[in-house]
This record gives sequence, C-alpha cells and structure tokens, in this order.
Amino acid sequence: MNTRFLGATKILARWSDVSPQRRDGLFVIALALVCFLALTPGLSGEGTSIPHMQLIGLMAAMVVAAVGLNLVSGFAGLISLGQGAMYAVGAYVFGYLSLKGELPTLLAVPITLIVCAVVGVVVALGTARLRGPQFTMITLVLAVLVHKVLVEWPELGAASGYPNTLQHQTGLLPEATVLGFSFVPPLFGGEFASVLVLVLVLTVVALVLYRNLSLSSWGRSLRAVGESDMLASHLGVHVFQRKVAALGITSALGGLGGIFYALLFAHLQPESFDVFFSITILLAVILGGSGTVIGPAVGAVIVVWLERSEVLDGVTELQRQYLSDQWYLSTPGIIGLILIAALFILPRGVVGTISDFAAKRTRRNLTQLTAPPLPTEPLSPSSFLAVNVDEAETRTLLEVAGATKHFGGLLAVNRVDLRVGPGSIHGVIGPNGAGKSSLANLVSGAYRPDSGSILLDGVDIAGRRPDQIARKGLARTFQTPQLFSSATALENVKAGFADTGQLSWWRAALKPRAQYRREVELERMATALLRRVGLLDEAYVLAGSLAYGKARALEIARALASQPKVLILDEPAAGLNSTEVMELGRLLTDLRADGLGMILVEHHMDLISTVADEVTCLAQGTVIAHGTASDVLSDESVMAVYLGAADSPPAESLTEGSQG
Amino acid sequence: MEIVVSGLAAGGLFALVAQGFVLTFLTTNTLNFALGEFMVVAAFLALAISSWGWLPSAGKIVFVIAVVGVLGAWTYRLIVLPFSSGHNDTRWLLSTVGLSFIIINMTTNGEGVLRQPLNYGGMDEVVEFLGVRLPSQQGLIAVTAVLVTIALVMVTRMTGLGTRMRAVSEDAEAASLMGISSKRIGMIAYGLAMSVVALAGVLWAAEVGVSPQLGEPLLVGAFAAGIIGGLTSLWGPLLGGGIYGLVTAAVGESAGVMWGEVSGLLIVLAVLMFRPEGLLGRRVDVKL
Repeated sequence: MNTRFLGATKILARWSDVSPQRRDGLFVIALALVCFLALTPGLSGEGTSIPHMQLIGLMAAMVVAAVGLNLVSGFAGLISLGQGAMYAVGAYVFGYLSLKGELPTLLAVPITLIVCAVVGVVVALGTARLRGPQFTMITLVLAVLVHKVLVEWPELGAASGYPNTLQHQTGLLPEATVLGFSFVPPLFGGEFASVLVLVLVLTVVALVLYRNLSLSSWGRSLRAVGESDMLASHLGVHVFQRKVAALGITSALGGLGGIFYALLFAHLQPESFDVFFSITILLAVILGGSGTVIGPAVGAVIVVWLERSEVLDGVTELQRQYLSDQWYLSTPGIIGLILIAALFILPRGVVGTISDFAAKRTRRNLTQLTAPPLPTEPLSPSSFLAVNVDEAETRTLLEVAGATKHFGGLLAVNRVDLRVGPGSIHGVIGPNGAGKSSLANLVSGAYRPDSGSILLDGVDIAGRRPDQIARKGLARTFQTPQLFSSATALENVKAGFADTGQLSWWRAALKPRAQYRREVELERMATALLRRVGLLDEAYVLAGSLAYGKARALEIARALASQPKVLILDEPAAGLNSTEVMELGRLLTDLRADGLGMILVEHHMDLISTVADEVTCLAQGTVIAHGTASDVLSDESVMAVYLGAADSPPAESLTEGSQG
Repeated sequence: MEIVVSGLAAGGLFALVAQGFVLTFLTTNTLNFALGEFMVVAAFLALAISSWGWLPSAGKIVFVIAVVGVLGAWTYRLIVLPFSSGHNDTRWLLSTVGLSFIIINMTTNGEGVLRQPLNYGGMDEVVEFLGVRLPSQQGLIAVTAVLVTIALVMVTRMTGLGTRMRAVSEDAEAASLMGISSKRIGMIAYGLAMSVVALAGVLWAAEVGVSPQLGEPLLVGAFAAGIIGGLTSLWGPLLGGGIYGLVTAAVGESAGVMWGEVSGLLIVLAVLMFRPEGLLGRRVDVKL
C-alpha cells in the first residue's frame, strides 16, 4: 500500500516545498487555463454556441456567489438563505445604473458592488448578535422581501421584467463598454460573446482575492467565529466587526454574480431570483464542500450544469418510463433530493470528502518522510513573551480587587482578591461550583464583573471585551480544549497570533509582498511554539485526532502565540495521566522561568503543590484561604469544604483515631 | 372595522399553521420548512378519499389528520433528527427545505396546478360579525385556531405527555437521563404539529380549492406569526397572527397589497432584531 501512494505523497511533499508565491501564481495560471478552455467552443461565434456561452457565464456568476456565501456560511457558520437576494440586488442595481443612470460600465460595476456591500453591512448590523437559526430566518425573510418587491414594484418593471419595451422602450440593457470597446452578450448568433471575457477576467480576480482571504489570518478569524464566538473573541477577534465585514464582502460577491447575470442576459425577470435560487446557491456551497476553499466553486459548476443541461431531464424521463407517468420528480424536486442526499452521503461536500480521503491515506506517510523544512534555529524563549525578566520583581502583572459577580440570585464570585506577579504561578483551588471558572471568566472578559477592579499590568480591564483584554496581554486555555479539530496543529497555533484579530481584510485579500514575509514569520514562530510545548512531531496532525494531553499542550501553544503577559489555565491537568501531568508541570515551570505570570485553576493537588508559588482557595465564591501551597492545603477550612467538616457525625467515623 | 375583522380572520389561519412551527420548535429546537407542503399533502389526501361514501365528512377529516400526523412523525425521525445533533447544527433547515421542494414538485407534476374543489369540510355561508360580512369558513378557521391553542395548552399543562414534552423542551439531556426519550417526544411533537397543519390544510382547501400552491403563500404569514409571537410560546401564534394579519390588512388597504406584505415582513425583521425570542417567548441566556 505504501508504494501505491508514494507517488501522491511525493507530489504533496513537492507541493509544500513550493513557495507560497509560486503556489499562488500557479493557481492564477490554472484558473486562466480553465477559462481559456471554457471559451474556445464559443470562439467560432456559431449560433449553437449561445447556450454554451450562457452556461459558462452562469457558472461564473454562481461560482462568485457561492464562494462569497462560503465566507459567511462555510467559515463563520452563519447559514444565509439570502445570497440570492444579493445577487438580485446586484443585477437590478447594475441594470438600473446602466440603463436609467446611463453610467459607463467602469463606474456601474464598482458602485453596484459598494451598494451590495452596504446592504450586507446594514443587515449584519441588525443581526450580528443573533444566534444561528434566527440569523438564517432573517436572511430568509429578506430573500422573500426582495423577491416580493422585485415582482411588484412598477419602477423596476414588475412582472414584465427589466427593462421592458412598454416602460423603457427597449427590452435589453445597453451593452457593456470599457474604453470604447463594446462587449457583446451571448444573444446573437454569429458573434463571439466577448462579454464573457470580461466576466471571466472578473471571476479570476474575485477568486484570487477570495482565496487570499480564506488562507490568511483573516480567514482563520472567520473559522474561529464559526467554531464559537467566545473562542474567537479570546483570540483577539472583534467578533461583531468581523461578522459585519464578512457579510459585507459576501454580499458584494453575491452582487457581482448578479452583475454577471445582467451582462449575460441583458434582461432581468424577477422569477429568476426567488427563494429557490437562494437555496441553490447554498446547495452549491454544501455540495462542493462548505468550509473548504475551492469546494464551493466546484459545487457551483456542478449545480449550474445539473440545472441547465439535459441530465436532469433525462432522469425525469427515466422515472416517467419506469416508475410512474403521473408521479415523478422533475428538476426542482431532484435538486431537493440531491440536497438531502448530499447532507447524508457527502456531509463535507465533494471537495471536502476527496481531501479527507486523500489526507487519511497520505497523512501517515507524510509524517514519515522528512518533515517539510521547518525552521530549526532556536528562538530565544522570552522573545515571544511580552515580559522583560530583568525588571524589578515588585511589579504586579495582574491585580484583581473585590471582583464580584451575580447570576440572578446566585452569588458566584464574592469580593475576590488576587495578585499575580511576573514569573509566578498562582493556583486557584476549590470544590465544584466554588466560582473558580467564573473568576477566570471575569478576568478574561467572558463575563462582566458587577463590581471590583481588575488591572492587567496597571491597565483597567474590568468589563472589557475578551478581544480587548487579549490585545492587552492576557491569554487563556479552556476547560475543554477548544481547537479547530479539522485543522492541523500548526494551523491551530497560527490562530493564536495577533494577526487573527488585527489583519485587515484588504491587506489579506491583496496580499502585498510584506504579507508573504509575515506568513513566513508566523510559520517560523508557530513551529517554535510547537517545539516549546513538545508537539513538533505533530505539527501536521489534525487537532481532532490528538490525544487529550497533546490537545491541551496545543491549546497552551496557541495561547502563548499572542505573546501574553498573563496566562490563565483552566484545569489543564484534567484527564491527563501522571506522566503527562509531570510534563505539564515542567512546561509551566519553564514558562515561569521566562517571566510569564500564570493563574492555574486546578483540582489536581499534586500539580498545585509542585508548581504553585501561592494558592487561593475559593468556596461558594469567597476566598477562604490564601498563602503558600503547603499552608493552604493543610488549612482546616480548606479540608472542610472538600471533605466535610471534621466534627459532623458521618465524617467522624471516617477520621482516623475515632474512638467510636 | 372591516379591515380589523378581515385582518384578524386572515391572522387566524396564519396562527393555526404557525402552531406547526411552535410545537416542534418548543420541543426539538427545529422547524419543518416543508410545513406548507404538508398542508398540500393533507388537502390532496382529503380529495382522494372524498369518494369514500361510507365515512362521514368528520371521519374523513380525522383520517387525513391521523395519516399526515404519522407522516410528520416519520419526517422527524428520518429527515430532521439526523441533522440536529447539536445546538450549532442547523442542517435540518436544509433537509426540510429539500423535502419541501420534493413534495411541491411531485404534486405539481402529478396533479397539475389547477385548483380542484373539495366538497366537504367547508361552510359556504357568509356570516356577519360586528357588522362586517365575512366568509364563514374564515371565521371557522380563526375559531379553530383559538380552540386548538387552548387544547394544546391544556395538554401540555395537564397531561403526563405534556409534562414530558415540557421537560424535553427545557433540557433534553436531563430529560433523557430521567428515562424520557427525546427522540420519541420529538416524533410525537412533529406528529401533533403536522396534524394541526393538516387540519388547517383541509379547512383552507375547502375554501380555496386543492392545488400544489396551497401552502406556499401561507408559509410566510405563518412564519411571521410564529416569530412575532415567539416560537417558544403556544399562545404566541395567536398574538403573532393577529398582529401580522392586522398590519398587512391595514397597510394593504391604504398603500397597496405589496406594501402591506412588505410592512408585515418589516415587523418580523424588527422583532428578530430587537426581541429575537418573540413577544411572548421566553429569553434563554447561554451559560458558558
């Protein structure tokens, strides 16, 4: 079996040797080649090529709309049933600007894109705080709304379409003209449909920008949002802003698809843009592979081909012949069936399933080969921590004073004080429900304190958002590791860098040379971090298949990526065996030596007594003991909350030396 | 006044159908987007058995309701349950949408788009209510909506089944630890919901005729009624349907049908943005 896939693994190894610039260049060349091949049958201009040209154009339009939708629905997990509405808005706005507004194409296209983006932003502003199904419902309502307006608004031609001869003295939109050259749509036999060149060029540009976005830290931030808003926020992402930006871009890409439609057919009928159309765009994303990069493009090609070619008609005929002349499924019904089947059989879509399959077969072999050149020069350990070890030890990194939090009637955290200095580990213990995790959530910004102050290196962070706090130098791990299970360990660590929250979308999309250099740097630093936590060999392993102990180490590596001053660890030893606990302890003491301040919320008393410099014990939200590990662990009140009071009858019989 | 009465009557229909949304969302956190198509199935089934002379009209209606209810239960089991594995999993939206395409396509191909009359289940008279003349079938549907809502509230408050449904709706995991199969409760909820929807389908088809497009125009209104009232409250559809019906009728009267429908949808958007759980729904905060 090894030899069969050796060829594939060699190709994969060679591919990762190719520099990112080369890879991006090859992508553009491949796209250009595909477009050229698509155009050749139509070059003759024969009448028979009109449907072919229309098919190519429709595919391009659907591709653009689908990859745009993927940003929001595939990566960020916000399922939108409204991309068809944006497509329609793009088509009608462009048509209106070209006809009524008499704007040249070079102006009409960008203005239309901006209008669509603005619509997307407005929708996002109203909906970004909503959870999944409600967001989807809003997009559905919008799709219905837009469709209704298009069908009934007389200004846009209503049911007669736009433009129509009655109202506008013409049934066709004006031809697109750029610098004097007129682009011919595929409507007339004997003429090459030159508008397709324009459409395909714009498609290639859109795909390149989209791919840059997807593979960048900005794309990573969307995936984080898709995983969990709270996780993304802790990685430094301003979730609300990110969703708004993403929805704006998605809408612009949907509108671009609509522009292509208007360029191709020069006439718009509202029936083409109903809710069914929105669903087919979503189907394209799912069928191709929701959350993959090129999957939606592949899915779009498949869906348009299915709808437009005679394949589905053939299936309908077969049913009428062999099953029943009266009860059969035609195109819309078959599409519904394909949708359900795709959800069952190909949950990761065509591209996703293929890449999973390929990954499974070659992953083992890939790690057996010499790993792709990972930078080997050791980074100075403290270069990725924000703390200067030489500074005076009296500086306090984190100061919590009187932090209080109520949940309804429950007092979860009651006037807790806590201090963490540079190069120290402050343990927080207490029975379940004592408020340890609530305290951690207060400090990291997941909850707002009702009262009290929290100072991070002198800066007040109480009540701030988690991403603001992360930017000020605080990072954390979670009780259950929150990793991207279908991404490699290296990718997961990269998500922890400040770029994830701070890289702007236009830098990510345009990818100037400085971006390439930054990507190399991120790769280098991520590798160094993996080596730090002992996961260098697992760099290309999918996070979902890591053992529990390694998953926790990976989370720590990701937390360190943001160069924090203070690190909060929420029960990192849970579920680890004794060897793994020892390794964890060693890692923590190493980090302490580098000057990192840590809060260690733990149940594992051995670990606490080994590494903690000072310990605070909480019970029912209140601090009941504070001091060195040995002091606190032998404190009577601490033992009482864990084991029960020593003088109550049931416990008495369990204590040693009972006289009963 | 005429607007008020006709708006409320239309709202009654939306409210009855919206119960189909609320019942399932309350217990399983999922919806059946093929709701309108289940109405179509019920109407066509009613048409098919209209020649069964040995069964009185009421019996035929009961039969249709029972059959469609069973179909609903199995829809949950086969089409919804596999795609609702977590609270982040929204694939059931897509699978039920796919189902709606299949049903509407099949009925269109099989029976054609022309409306066929249903000769039972409806009243042909016109009544006068508060000085306004109203087709009595619409009044019947509105009254049915109220009665069904009351019945559902009584079932959930006073029967063992109702308690189990409420338990599953609060916390499915804890309920399963108590021995309540959330799968079975989900099937029962869907069965009940589709039965209500089937009743609406038969009553409405008796008024406007049986055709594959029976359900589609109602879906938006039913959806709106459910959202405005709150998908977690059984009284929600009545309030939501009333508001939606009134607004669309009032605005439609003065500014045209299109603006009437647009304003109704704008109300839904406003509710989703400012009070996403609906006017009567209960707010659920997520604990970390």
